[in-house]
Amino acid sequence: MTDSPSAVPPPSALPDGVAPPTPTDSLPAMDITGLVKRFGEKTAVAGLDLRVPAGSFYGLVGPNGAGKTTTLSMATGLLRPDAGTVRIHGVDVWAQPVEAKKLIGNLADGVRLFDRLTGEQLVTYTGMMFGLTRDEVATRTADLLKIMDLTEAAGTPVVDYSAGMTKKVALACALVHSPRLLVLDEPFESVDPVSAANIEDILRGYTASGGTVIVSSHSMDLVQRMCDHVAVIAQGRLLASGTVDEVRGGKTLQDTFVDLVGGRHHAEGPQWLRQS
Amino acid sequence: MVATVLRIRFRVLGNTLGRSPMQLVGFIFGIIGALWMLLFAGLGLFFVGTLDFDIARAAVTAAGAVLILGWVLGPIFAAGVDTTLDPAKLAPFPMTTTQMMIAITAGGLTGVGGIATVVAGLLTFLVWAHEPVAAIAAVVCVPIGLLICVVASRAVTALASGLGGGRRTKEVIGLVAFALVIFASPILIGILNAVQSATEQGLQLQALVSAVSWTPIGAAWAVPGDLATGSWLTAILKFVIALATLAVLWVLWFRNLSASVIAPPARSTARRKTGSLGWFGVMPSSPVGATWARSLTSWTRDMRYLRQLLLIPFAPIIVLIYSQWDVNTPFFALSGLLVGFFAGVLPYSDISYDGTAFATVMQTGIRGRADRLGRTLGVATVVVPLIVVVDVVTIAIAGRWDLLAPVLGASLGLTLIGFGVSAVSSAFLVVPTPSPGDSPFKRVPGSSFSMFLTFFLCWALVAVLGLPTVIPAAIATFTGSSVAGWIAFVVGPVLGLAVLAVGVVLGGKRFDANAPGLLAQLRSFQGA
Repeated sequence: MTDSPSAVPPPSALPDGVAPPTPTDSLPAMDITGLVKRFGEKTAVAGLDLRVPAGSFYGLVGPNGAGKTTTLSMATGLLRPDAGTVRIHGVDVWAQPVEAKKLIGNLADGVRLFDRLTGEQLVTYTGMMFGLTRDEVATRTADLLKIMDLTEAAGTPVVDYSAGMTKKVALACALVHSPRLLVLDEPFESVDPVSAANIEDILRGYTASGGTVIVSSHSMDLVQRMCDHVAVIAQGRLLASGTVDEVRGGKTLQDTFVDLVGGRHHAEGPQWLRQS
Repeated sequence: MVATVLRIRFRVLGNTLGRSPMQLVGFIFGIIGALWMLLFAGLGLFFVGTLDFDIARAAVTAAGAVLILGWVLGPIFAAGVDTTLDPAKLAPFPMTTTQMMIAITAGGLTGVGGIATVVAGLLTFLVWAHEPVAAIAAVVCVPIGLLICVVASRAVTALASGLGGGRRTKEVIGLVAFALVIFASPILIGILNAVQSATEQGLQLQALVSAVSWTPIGAAWAVPGDLATGSWLTAILKFVIALATLAVLWVLWFRNLSASVIAPPARSTARRKTGSLGWFGVMPSSPVGATWARSLTSWTRDMRYLRQLLLIPFAPIIVLIYSQWDVNTPFFALSGLLVGFFAGVLPYSDISYDGTAFATVMQTGIRGRADRLGRTLGVATVVVPLIVVVDVVTIAIAGRWDLLAPVLGASLGLTLIGFGVSAVSSAFLVVPTPSPGDSPFKRVPGSSFSMFLTFFLCWALVAVLGLPTVIPAAIATFTGSSVAGWIAFVVGPVLGLAVLAVGVVLGGKRFDANAPGLLAQLRSFQGA
């Protein structure tokens, strides 16, 4: 925990072991330059540049198929880019993957967990993979399960968790090694409002203590409320980025997004679909 | 409706084959294999038809019974069930359970195996053509036999994988089914053995076949022959048996299916106490320890892994079949080597079983070497003790304690060499597998050919690398040289560990470079 005097006390206190160290450098938490990924004929990411300042709560928004997941996969070392570089606090993800991955806590979208393990086993496993000592693993696992309200379900196999619980246990895994940057792909998808609010509290506490969070989301309201920075991407390109207020410029983020991306049409739908 | 579903099935098959040349090659090989077997069946039935009619009808009954058994047991041991027409996928469409079952049955009959079976069924007319009465009866009975093939296969796999139950029930039923199969196979082999010894006395064989003709698997195929020889009462009774078999299977399948389609996914109540970490509490807290614990948890709990371990008790039985149940042959004493040979390459593509959860492994930035070592330790913890048990048991049965040292050395050597080869191959390739919790009987389309190629390559490598320990073990067995025996005992483990070390280093390098590629492939399987 930082004791910054100006900050309002964070809504949810993270345990000491999990709070990220205060950044001492001025390097951006994530610096993407010229990122390109093609799948056959289709270009999923077309020369994307993105700079995420350290300590920010950064929202990544875009329509379906905009390349958000592809970008985040490449930024976290899961998908090899065709061109471009990604640096995490100055560490090149693809040149020094091991060092970079220690800085990242990642909640990837569309991948399974080892869901035959219990919640407790899964978090313990992740902690062991990062080479924490046994005591550290035990303490952090207990702390994380507690703040995620999973203590009751600690001994239940993850496969039997609800969607929201699964997201929370994945988030616990992402946090266990005390990363400096959290990359969360659709963390609120299929999560109920109560769990979402709890997760939001945890993330606010994390950024308040100096960590950086990147979330991708479809929910403009959520991004407008939670994030201080936002980037809009469509068809693999960056359309706008900056602080949320800069990007929306007086309108709601929803309207700005629709203006930027286009594709909105006002039709009543086909005749046969009308019920009267 | 059924026609629409069948059209979708062929469209899916076409698209899958069009997308991947490897799968197309596998498909073509499948067709060639089927044609080859049909050619044999056709020639066999043609010549049998020219013999005495009693022999001919017995042959058809026996072949038909084997065909049905193959449809029932095949999915468990080898191919798995084609799940293109999965009830869960068909459930949203407005069709009744019966329509769904008809569609799935029709789908089964129109696959490569199904078409081959239908043609084989038609080939029996080469025999029946000699007797007009039989030919007329066969027009009814052969389709019933063919339907029993497909329906039995679906009903048994649906029951065995307990589609209607919760996850835990499913796994328990699966495990019980496996145990039954293990215990049933020596009995089956006993029957085969009886058949083999009976071939010298043709009468006994005919007695056996006539017994089989009263069972659900043989009845349908026996009716035309009985009619033609004038045994009307027998024929009618057997016809009733065949119809009853089909009806019972249909009802069982119907119940299972209607339960599984409407039942909500059951939540399991099986849980551990908080703080009970299993292997994760035992292994050292490091990337290797974590991987070791996870791999070991899978090898001891996940049905998809347990299924592979079935091979270990099976190898000595295979040897016994070839040696005509003579436990005193040197080959039986050496069967531990075969077990080691098979067991070593079990994890030849073990990342496949992670599925997209492999992303979790990659997110931790684990070094390839640590991953390889951890996974190898996991499988070794299960397999090595099993090998030792099989070695000791087979040697004890064979009564050749003088061969214990060479057999132990060579079998463990082969196992370790296999692990070394697998450490490299599994960093190169992932194959489609059933998802965790799916029925381990489920066949994943297109997996067969690439699997076969790599598997063959791994075996060839293990065989060549294992020669320095296999040769002394063989010399010890056939000449009784104890020096050769001790050479095998020492060379096996030392060579094995050396190959394993090299495999971990090379595989580790490949893993570091190739992990993102493997994950991308695993994601594409998930979408398929």
